[in-house]
Amino acid sequence: MCLGIPMQIKSIDQFVARCEAKGVERDVNLFMMQGEPVEVGDFVMVHVGYAIQKMTEQQARSSWELYDEMLSSLEPNVEVGNA
Amino acid sequence: MSINAKQWLKLIHELPIKETVKIMNVCGGHERSITMSGIRGALPKNIELIPGPGCPVCICPEEDVYQAIQLALKEPITLVTYGDMLRVPVNVKKSDIKSLEQAKASGASVVPIASPMEAVKIANDHPDDTIVFFAAGFETTTAPTAAMIAQGIPDNLLLLLSGRLTWPAIALLLDSETPGFDALVAPGHVATVMGESEWDFVVTKHHLPAAIAGFTPETLLAAMYSVLRQKIENNYFLDNCYPELVLPEGNVWAKNTINKVMNVVDATWRGVGVIPKSGFELNENYRQSDVNVHFPNYRDEARNMAGKMPPGCDCAKVVLGKRYPNQCKLYGTACTPQHPIGPCMVSDEGACRIWWAGGLRESV
Ligand code: SF4
Repeated sequence: MCLGIPMQIKSIDQFVARCEAKGVERDVNLFMMQGEPVEVGDFVMVHVGYAIQKMTEQQARSSWELYDEMLSSLEPNVEVGNA
Repeated sequence: MSINAKQWLKLIHELPIKETVKIMNVCGGHERSITMSGIRGALPKNIELIPGPGCPVCICPEEDVYQAIQLALKEPITLVTYGDMLRVPVNVKKSDIKSLEQAKASGASVVPIASPMEAVKIANDHPDDTIVFFAAGFETTTAPTAAMIAQGIPDNLLLLLSGRLTWPAIALLLDSETPGFDALVAPGHVATVMGESEWDFVVTKHHLPAAIAGFTPETLLAAMYSVLRQKIENNYFLDNCYPELVLPEGNVWAKNTINKVMNVVDATWRGVGVIPKSGFELNENYRQSDVNVHFPNYRDEARNMAGKMPPGCDCAKVVLGKRYPNQCKLYGTACTPQHPIGPCMVSDEGACRIWWAGGLRESV
């Protein structure tokens, strides 16, 4: 549940954004981003479906790379989902 | 120009480190990156990396898990919680139901979720049912729970709140006579939410080097290099090695949201005991959503003394960094991810589970 996943915002409907990470799409809650409004195309760090901070594309990519490596070495019953 | 992991390792190896230095982390995500990327083995021999209290599932009070199980078994409710919580065992007789997973198998309505938004959706989709969200987790999970509540939740969604603050556990260790570590790598996403300054006390009050790290090997190694160099130069400060996400004040909106709906209270950590000002309760304005208001008879005070781990399980020592996972005699024998004895082998954030996933198969 503690894994933060960087995602890119594809569309925004009030406090819910449709976000994408490596081809997987999820709804992400933007309630906690009201201090630093986000736009379509921005990258956000997501914890349990809620954006906690903005980030750059480069930071997002290096996190994804890391997860790719870790997931390939983890056992199959470890879920990532949108947690 | 950014420095890559190899270059950081070279810089660390060039440092004149004479004595053993123990560096603690407080985050399952850090421990996972360290273990999976093989950082531990690549560092000089006299640097020890200690997984500390970084697993919210592991320290979630046994009495809260027990309460969740009993509610699911005895009341006409649906219990929703993060998937990790389902297999956490409580200390009961062999014949009794000892996890939410077993409760589900015996017919209770238990649904794993990945986000508080799912809890709201389930409650909205089933307006005639009572949904209880067993919300364990550290600040990165508690802030979303607070956001969910602040946005407004349906009346049929109740909370069994087991959120915890991370820093008080480190304060507890540092206030003890045997903290067991010489430097701290502080958790990047906790600090993203709560701010850099929450960790100042490690330096100002306890005179230990500290650095906040993200989750790639580069930022973890940068933080390790920083604390080692601080130690050698005897010049301690809180270094922020994850400045892209961690602002000095954190995510102010998220912190205000937590403060709007919750009070900080003394709280039990499984295997540890009560840590002052380390947990959350819903405040007066939101107390109608507290499961204890609606089902008051499930807080079994007698169990509050049962902050214990299962018999034979060293999780209590593992979560405080007093013992490595493979120093538990059950590690890899009686206790494996398929048949976990303690919560540290259940959770993806648990040090035992991470070390096992990292390929370490034998106890020492
Ligand atoms: S190996 Fe299993 S029994 Fe031993 S400390 Fe870890 S979880 Fe507990």
